[in-house]
Amino acid sequence: MTAAALFQSILASLPEIVVVTGACILLILGQLVRKGQQQFLVWASIAVVLIAALGTLMLAGEVRPAYSGMFVADRFAVFFKVVFYLVTVLTFLLSRKYAEIEGIGSSEYYVLLLLALSGMMIMASATDLLSIYVGLELMVLCTYVLTGFLRQQRRSNEAALKYVILGGVSTGIFLYGVSLIYGLTGTTQLDGMAAAVTGDPLDPGLLLAVVFIVAGLVFKVGAVPFHMWVPDVYEGAPTTITAFMSVGPKAAGFAVILRVFLNPLVAASNVWIIVAVIAAVTMALGSFVALVQDNFKRLLAYSSIAHAGFAMFGVAAGGADGAASVMLYLLIYAFMNLGIFGIVIMMRNGDFSGEVIEDYAGLAKSHRGLALLMLLYLFSLAGIPPTAGFFAKFYVLVALVERGFVMLAVIAVLLSAVAAYFYIRIVMVIYMREPEGAFDPALTPAVAATLAFTAAGTIGIGLFPAWFLRLAQHAAVGG
Amino acid sequence: MTIPLLSLIVFTPAVGAAALMFVRNDDVVRWMALGVTVLDFVLCIAMLGGFDTSTHEMQFTETRPWVPALGITYTLGIDGISAPFVFLTALLGWISVLASWVAIDRKVKEFMVSLLAMQALMLGVFCALDLFLFYVFWEAMLIPMYLIIGVWGGDGRVYAAFKFFLYTLAGSLMFLIGVIVLYFHGGETFDIRTLMAQDLPLQVQSWLFFAFLIAFAVKVPMVPVHTWLPDAHVQAPTAGSIILAAVLLKMGAYGFLRFSLPMLPEASVHYSTLMLVLSAVAIVYGGLLALAQDDLKKLVAYSSISHMGLVTLGIFTLNLRGLEGGILQMFNHGVTTGALFLSVGLIYERTHTRSIADYGGLMKAAPVYTAFLALFTLSSMALPGTNSFVGELLVLSGAFAANLAVGAAAVLGALLGAAYLLGMYRKVALGPASIGVRFKIRDVNAREMAAILPLAVFVLWVGLYPKPFLEIIDASVKHLLAQVHGKGGAQ
Repeated sequence: MTAAALFQSILASLPEIVVVTGACILLILGQLVRKGQQQFLVWASIAVVLIAALGTLMLAGEVRPAYSGMFVADRFAVFFKVVFYLVTVLTFLLSRKYAEIEGIGSSEYYVLLLLALSGMMIMASATDLLSIYVGLELMVLCTYVLTGFLRQQRRSNEAALKYVILGGVSTGIFLYGVSLIYGLTGTTQLDGMAAAVTGDPLDPGLLLAVVFIVAGLVFKVGAVPFHMWVPDVYEGAPTTITAFMSVGPKAAGFAVILRVFLNPLVAASNVWIIVAVIAAVTMALGSFVALVQDNFKRLLAYSSIAHAGFAMFGVAAGGADGAASVMLYLLIYAFMNLGIFGIVIMMRNGDFSGEVIEDYAGLAKSHRGLALLMLLYLFSLAGIPPTAGFFAKFYVLVALVERGFVMLAVIAVLLSAVAAYFYIRIVMVIYMREPEGAFDPALTPAVAATLAFTAAGTIGIGLFPAWFLRLAQHAAVGG
Repeated sequence: MTIPLLSLIVFTPAVGAAALMFVRNDDVVRWMALGVTVLDFVLCIAMLGGFDTSTHEMQFTETRPWVPALGITYTLGIDGISAPFVFLTALLGWISVLASWVAIDRKVKEFMVSLLAMQALMLGVFCALDLFLFYVFWEAMLIPMYLIIGVWGGDGRVYAAFKFFLYTLAGSLMFLIGVIVLYFHGGETFDIRTLMAQDLPLQVQSWLFFAFLIAFAVKVPMVPVHTWLPDAHVQAPTAGSIILAAVLLKMGAYGFLRFSLPMLPEASVHYSTLMLVLSAVAIVYGGLLALAQDDLKKLVAYSSISHMGLVTLGIFTLNLRGLEGGILQMFNHGVTTGALFLSVGLIYERTHTRSIADYGGLMKAAPVYTAFLALFTLSSMALPGTNSFVGELLVLSGAFAANLAVGAAAVLGALLGAAYLLGMYRKVALGPASIGVRFKIRDVNAREMAAILPLAVFVLWVGLYPKPFLEIIDASVKHLLAQVHGKGGAQ
């Protein structure tokens, strides 16, 4: 590798380098910061993310391939990275007070989040199955630890253990698929693979390899049949980490899935049938099982499974609109899901866990503003206009119908009608019940800012989707 | 630049709702809500003043790009078919506020915000000329209506609110798929006027017709997807019932008029017999059910099903008299049933019972109230001289021209109507005073008079001199018929 090429590679991956370096510096600084000075770590972490974001946006002008075709900084990656930055910063803002309440004192919490962010960023930029693997592992290893961060709680430990074991198996499956691909085509690069294949695209060996890779990736987004870990991990993990995982790593998983599926080789095979089946089953399972949940975090876990299913429909649609619809969906989902999680996190105060739906009975009576925000997020998650959640679903449906998959669209909307029930059930609990005790939400300025920002996104994208739609479409086509 | 009058009409209540959120005093909230709705009504009268009855073209149109990448625009406009309903919605807006003045005594602010939001969305539905925009308004209505029923309703409100929400949502989502399919078949546009000019193959039309039918049939509601209506009506507060009966139910029929007929003309003709039969079933079945009710609100709710059956019957006769009668009957049903629910609400506030068996001899206790009740009851059973007579006569003459058997069923429905309405009136107003009303019942006060009198005026106005109302819709209906039967085949 020449010096010029190396420089280009470093330039292309500058944001990742910034995040990793920042994380390492914070790891050292964290040992020097005295107890009670955690505030500093939060702001330093946010500063690292913002610098990386600045770098990403400044380098967004052109497509920069790097590291001999293993990595690319293109508009597709930029779009996802912006989503990741958003998610990470909002998670930091939500974490401050929550960490205090839960007694999370160590600085590793912030460092691990930053490292998980860098893993997600590598996933979004990776164009080689091996670099995908590196990003994937970096991300999940951090989230394993973060899941078990509440060391004294059995639930948290159990979740982490389940997550590690199942995650390890799925990574193994993924790697097995990669090895098959390498054996069949002699390369692990996504583009190289397509060029190397000259025979029938429906070669059973190849299809098997793709199925293995899909299985490994589907685990990360929590789709059926690899969804079993989601409810337990979401329930056991610190709520801030649950919020983070439900949007960040999920979006990263979809970034890789889209990269693999935008690949002509895969697009030519009939793998969309598998994806469509996964999508329908995932959505059905998430929606129906969520109906009977009493625990708010578990309900949101199943809701996130259902949403992964809906986004999968966009993948099944394929093409430029299909990819753009998934990307827009993930962006919008990040806003509304972080919003609802923000409220759950905020309700955790003192002895009040805020984890059972019944805990929220009559919230509207004493906290009108909060109740209204929840109403907004919940109707957005249910996909009712004029919220952003509606437009996200609408665009996926447009992509499906455009490809002639009208039946899939019908299945998708019928299942989202089922899903609407459990969202409006929470609205019912908030508005139509009498409060049993007083509420004492831990409303700090940082949490308020997060809620205001997510609410603005949820209603703003819903009313003026044009700009965001164009952004997603450009990013998908420019990939 | 001209004044965007329709945008003003649609968004005045929305802005009012947003402003209300910052008001603390309940009385100020009430007066502000009244002020906003009256202002909206005034704007609406100004709009009708400038309405040209000689053309079927869309008027007061305004258009702005919204989501250019998908061909979505913000386009508003009205013609003779939508104008009466814009007016009706604006009229019932302030009547609903008056009806909730004392009936809503908790969370007043939230209620008025929901009511105003509801009004903005309903006006948007009737004004939208872009299918996407229409759908946004159409489905966003679920949110405030869910809250109105679920928070301020009766004892079974939660169940009723869920049922209303899920029924309507499931129906609407099928419509959404239909809209997207139409978008791709009609040249990637959501513009309603462009889509009306498309000539789709019959097979596509048929699929779309049924996708639309699910959504509109739930809203109308037609048998067998009507079961949410009695629950929603019984549980909703008075203002909710008024809005539901007077405006929401019209939207299903409006959907048939605005989308099914002009965009899917061949399918509409093809399946008109099916629709006529479904309508006839609704007329007779709704009437029979109403006959058996003891709850005042349930009785009016089932009579609504019967009367809306008459509306869809008129629409799918696909002839001039039937269609004009159907549209006029939509307006009449809005006025009359709105007034009936208002009357039931007024008496319920005094006695806290809706059971017909608890009443009797109300005439002696509250003569003015009973006189109004008599007028609306007679209007509902289409006595000559009242508004419904004109509409029903037109529909029936259209129905007999289209299908003799269906016409006969409609007449049977009218007979049933006389039976249950007169029966209700006799038990409530006449006879000896019963247990429920032995205590002193106050007659209507000035506020209640202000709410109920305008509706009485419209009952008699349309009944005695329907010409101005028919003139408004005439040109548009003729154009619609030309669209359905092809340019040469207009009857």
